[in-house]
Amino acid sequence: MKKFLVFSLSLLLALTFIASCKKKVKEVPPPPPPQAQEQPKVEKVEAPVVKEPVLTEEEIFQKKTLEEINQEKPLAMIFFDYDKYNIRPDAVPVLETNAQWLKAHPTVKILIEGHCDERGTEEYNLALGERRAKATMEYLVSLGIPAERMKIISYGKSQPLDPGHDEAAWAKNRRAQFLIIEK
Amino acid sequence: MKNKSQFIILLLALFLLSIPTFSQQEVVLTIKEGVPAISIALPSFILDSSSPEVKQAAETIHEVLKADLNYSRIFQLVPQEHLNYIRPLNPKEIFFKDWDSIQARILVAGEVSQSQNKIIFEAKVYDIKSERMILGKRFQADPEVFRLVAHRLADELLKLFGEKPFFTTKIVFVSNRDGNDELYMMDYDGANQTRLTFNKWRDYMPAWSPDQRAIVFTSYRAGNPDLYILYPYKGKMVPVSTKGTNFSGAFSPDGKKLAFCSTRDGNAEIYVANADGTNIRRITFNSAIDTAPSWSPTGREIAFTSDRTGSPQIYIMDSEGGNVRKVSFGGDYLDSPAWSPDGERIAFVSRVNNFFDIYILNLKTNQITKLTETNARNESPSWSLDGRHLVFSSNLSGSIQIYSIDYDGTNLRCLTSKGENKLPNWTN
Repeated sequence: MKKFLVFSLSLLLALTFIASCKKKVKEVPPPPPPQAQEQPKVEKVEAPVVKEPVLTEEEIFQKKTLEEINQEKPLAMIFFDYDKYNIRPDAVPVLETNAQWLKAHPTVKILIEGHCDERGTEEYNLALGERRAKATMEYLVSLGIPAERMKIISYGKSQPLDPGHDEAAWAKNRRAQFLIIEK
Repeated sequence: MKNKSQFIILLLALFLLSIPTFSQQEVVLTIKEGVPAISIALPSFILDSSSPEVKQAAETIHEVLKADLNYSRIFQLVPQEHLNYIRPLNPKEIFFKDWDSIQARILVAGEVSQSQNKIIFEAKVYDIKSERMILGKRFQADPEVFRLVAHRLADELLKLFGEKPFFTTKIVFVSNRDGNDELYMMDYDGANQTRLTFNKWRDYMPAWSPDQRAIVFTSYRAGNPDLYILYPYKGKMVPVSTKGTNFSGAFSPDGKKLAFCSTRDGNAEIYVANADGTNIRRITFNSAIDTAPSWSPTGREIAFTSDRTGSPQIYIMDSEGGNVRKVSFGGDYLDSPAWSPDGERIAFVSRVNNFFDIYILNLKTNQITKLTETNARNESPSWSLDGRHLVFSSNLSGSIQIYSIDYDGTNLRCLTSKGENKLPNWTN
């Protein structure tokens, strides 16, 4: 056993010697250093970027200006019959949707504008426009929106939506529309 | 036989259908006020020099004075060619027989001169029959007020014959010519259109005080239709009522009170305040819309619009709010009453088949006459001081413009053309 150990050790030594000798023979000179001057390494400069967290709907809303919100028209307008200021059945679902939106944005205050078509006198239309705005406000109050969140204004027939002079235009002009004045 | 009677019934039905309900109250307009026109001769003015300034002054004053007299409805100009039959005007010696021979009752002799760059216009008015000078006037003026000189003399002539002078009065109105609705004023003939308010908000429904020194109007400048009084010659403005919708302001004929419509207590009601806007008190108490107050010339009554019976109609009440009675009939949409200066008539707007026309209710005879016949939207009537003319707005030409018309429906004239022009107010 001792003999074997001595033998293998010497064999290992012998093998190591052979290997080292072999390497020396095959050695090639190192490549000459490059002639050109070494370029400095390009460093890419970057400021650390803050990754925005995903905003909630409320946060998105608060980021927008009143103008931007109004441009999106979150509150649809409603229309009235000729010479009338009662809330039409087709306006009810519109006001219900508007009320839901107002409940979802409890800090919002709105201005309700009452408008008329051109087929009325200036004086009477100013009074009628206010009644339309008021009827709209009262309906929203009945849906649970506090009156303190709403203001009304009448423009009579002075701000038509459609400048035409036919029933289609008049029907569009007899309206109550909403402006967000505070958020 | 059966077919024939059916045919007759059909014809009868068609005939009945063809009678418009409103036409039953209408009468054909035949008012001819029994004032024979006063024949007036207005020969060319005498010029003391041939300077262009003098010539221009003479031409302008003569032309404007002639237009005023023609407009007056009480004077009738002697035709120009008749003046060629007689000796030319000699200011040193008036040949009354000459003027009598061409049936002139009044002669206006004018002389224009220039002294130290100032134009002097001297007018002498003669009564031909009595061969007397009945009025002498001397005006000094710069070119920009030549028209005013003519209006001043025309007013003097009206006063001579017991008429209310109105040629120097102004019409206040609303125009969008400079972008948005602002207040403007102009002469009765549409000249000298002058802007009065300068802001980006709507200014609306102006009405003069009787002395034409103050204008009550509605403005959205503070974000709400509020009532203000503007003093255009002082550059001063005061708020009157700023809660709810405030509009239809009207000064009383004595200039001491101000009526207006407001929703300050929740519903459209009529209020009366002092002329400076203080001491506001409510005079109508009705759940309907009460609006458009117009004072009677005595100031004891107010005409107004109310829809208390379901549709807007014209009512009269005492100026304290009592004794309300309906005076209109035969229409289902009437508004904008304007009480005439003689107290006998109320002009108003009535909507029939989507046309808006101006009608005049005679309170003595209870007859309604139709003033405008244009198949258009004629609105906002306002009387001249003498009650012989009215102004109103109309979309007759396609865009809304201001027109004047005489009490009998003649002499329709358009006074404006730039932008859209509406809500004229001449007097209360």
